Amino acid sequence: MSGEALDRLMKMRDDPYAAARAWKERTGGKVMGYFCCYAPEEMIHAAGALPVRITGENRDISKSGAHLQNYCCSLARTGLDMALDGTLSFLDGTVFVHTCDTMQRLSDIWRLNAGFAVHADLVLPVRFETSSAWDYMTSELASFAEGLEKELGPMEDSALVESIKLFNRNRALLAKLYQMRLASPGILPYDQALWCSTSSALMDKAEHTALLEEIITDLQAGTATTDGSGVPLFGIGSVMDQWDFLAMVAESGATFIDDDFCNGRRYFDFEVPEDVPPVEGIARRLWGRSSCPCKHVPSRDRGACLADRATAAGAKGAIFFQFKFCEPHAFDYPHVKKALDKAGIPSLNLEFEQGSVSIGQLRTRVGALVETIKA
Amino acid sequence: MSAEDIRKPPKIAATEQMKQLITNYYIEAKTTKEKPICWITSGGPVEFLIAMGVIPVYPENHGAMCGASKIAVGLAEVAESMGFSQDLCSYARLDIGGAATQNGAIPGGLPKPDFLLCCNNICGTVTKWYEELSRFWDVPMFLFDTPFIHKSKPGHATEYVKQQCLELIEFLQKQTGKKWSDDRFAEVAMLSVEGVDLWKEVLKTAESRPSPFTCFDAFIHMAPIVTLRGTQEVVDYYKLLRDEMQERVANGVGAVADEKYRLIWDNIPIWYEMRNLGNLFAGNHACLVADTYTTAWAVDIKIEDPLTSMADAYTKVYLNISIDLMLDQLLALIERYSADGLVMHSNRSCKPYSLGQYDLARAVTERTGKPALIIEADMTDSRAFSEAQTRERVDAFIESL
Ligand code: SF4
Ligand code: SF4
Repeated sequence: MSGEALDRLMKMRDDPYAAARAWKERTGGKVMGYFCCYAPEEMIHAAGALPVRITGENRDISKSGAHLQNYCCSLARTGLDMALDGTLSFLDGTVFVHTCDTMQRLSDIWRLNAGFAVHADLVLPVRFETSSAWDYMTSELASFAEGLEKELGPMEDSALVESIKLFNRNRALLAKLYQMRLASPGILPYDQALWCSTSSALMDKAEHTALLEEIITDLQAGTATTDGSGVPLFGIGSVMDQWDFLAMVAESGATFIDDDFCNGRRYFDFEVPEDVPPVEGIARRLWGRSSCPCKHVPSRDRGACLADRATAAGAKGAIFFQFKFCEPHAFDYPHVKKALDKAGIPSLNLEFEQGSVSIGQLRTRVGALVETIKA
Repeated sequence: MSAEDIRKPPKIAATEQMKQLITNYYIEAKTTKEKPICWITSGGPVEFLIAMGVIPVYPENHGAMCGASKIAVGLAEVAESMGFSQDLCSYARLDIGGAATQNGAIPGGLPKPDFLLCCNNICGTVTKWYEELSRFWDVPMFLFDTPFIHKSKPGHATEYVKQQCLELIEFLQKQTGKKWSDDRFAEVAMLSVEGVDLWKEVLKTAESRPSPFTCFDAFIHMAPIVTLRGTQEVVDYYKLLRDEMQERVANGVGAVADEKYRLIWDNIPIWYEMRNLGNLFAGNHACLVADTYTTAWAVDIKIEDPLTSMADAYTKVYLNISIDLMLDQLLALIERYSADGLVMHSNRSCKPYSLGQYDLARAVTERTGKPALIIEADMTDSRAFSEAQTRERVDAFIESL
């Protein structure tokens, strides 16, 4: 079974930014793009704008090659290309969060060339520990909020509190959806579950939340669509937007049972605490959620954390799906792989560039992993 | 005189002293029994280590040596076989490979660190690299986090970095078991300022025509200011070098015979190609008079308030600012050194230095009418370099001047 709400959401995948364009037309409001999921979406929402995540797309570069070398990740290259050729003309502005060296430079290049009215940088600390880093982070968030207010209009505290509630509700539903799949993977193919999470960053939050409620009700009432007997895998990487690849994994007799993608679990993981002032709450979530390799948190060993999570999810194997030229993830790979090995979880490291993913080649490698696990 | 003689640049006499200085430094680092060793990034606040009697060791400096002596690729391949992608910064790769095999440009490789000091004012790469070192050597790491400056530096960023200076002092006291002395630190800061001022005076001599040295010389002679600033030896050494350069200026001695063109270099040197590139430009009567790399160590420290001014200086370095701010500095260099053009090394290893160069090159030409050449390469990984292509492009560029 699928249900009407899920159908509606899945249709969006063919044109990910259609919802944002329609929202803008309908409300006359401002749309703010952002790349990194450490962006405090609630603040943008509370200021009356629509936060929309830009993650590049599969395309051949035409315009961004004049600004970015070909040893830069395709997320930045295709994203900039979309800005320069008008694909993102519905944006009123962009928020850049300090992530990696590439994003840092992309922010400058974007500001100087993309021509959007609003440009905001949020320079979060890299060190996610110590009280000085915490003080810096909360000050930076507060001054970021002030800057947004100047550009987008007032952001009342009460509005921020409401936004936080709404976003938390959405997070809780996504967590529930993932949880339901963990218990019975057959109820929903992984690519659809991941799209439920991905699309949350692409449309009006209230609307998305309503769809999620319906989807969950339908799933609870329905029966499994697939038999769910595929080999359970754990996915690791930043953005995962290769739907054909996921279809191929399913055809190969495997399914992702859980992930650490930043448009997957890491997007909705951890709620904003509601019993503290809103800016502090937002800071606490960013600080506490499972970390991205761009953050330095010595007290949390990312390898061990991921191995634990994969084990807890019952994964029998793992796939690293990484952007070519992405330094933060590539540096972590050998260490995380070792941790997985220790936990008895075989893994596969796949590098890709948007626009040139060769499913045929990857099929052999995924097939080999599945065979190893089954043997 | 044959054509060969004309092209031959005069030798800088102080080179011998510099070699001695660096050799002594590595010998002490390799043999010390009592002094702790700290591996530190090139943009890191070394004054704290010197003040605590810690020997700083610079994997990047060692990386440059490995690049120049053409052993970088072999070491990098070791890291690649450990699972590190070939697309990662080659300094990091060769260093990880060197650590794993106890190998490198100095016998037995770099001495084992007791702890690590990583300052991310040059890139985010070093954070990941040092995390790996911390795991590999099983030693603690201090991350000195300097928020990137897009437009201007907010007060809370300065405060954050200043607080970290205090945390670093705590860390060092714990690691060394020694007590911190403000007086000793003031002394070191003073020597650091003196060394940096002398280094600036050396660089300034290149304003004259002909220039007494090229940036290829500066790349070699910057080693002491990077590694040992805050010591008396460095001050003494740069006095010597400055005097020699000033004497050259007084006598009209140029580094390049019959200097016709003056150029600015951007990015880290192509270490394994330095000699060839130097000859290629010199043969065309082109002198690379200044660069954005060696000026990066000309940070200002105010003696009245060393901590605040250091926090400020270490945050504002060239690689930690936006391309608009970099452009201002590039234009200033071109003006100050009366340059005729810009040569940019698009360095596959170094994203913070290289991404944005295409825009910078266009902006420089738009603003000054001067041409810019972009060479695609890698600072130590010669697999990413095409000599024939570079030669062709350099020749065509000089032609266009
Ligand atoms: S994919 Fe990697 S390199 Fe690219 S923007 Fe994200 S973290 Fe940076
Ligand atoms: S070469 Fe660039 S990326 Fe590598 S350590 Fe130096 S500044 Fe960082």
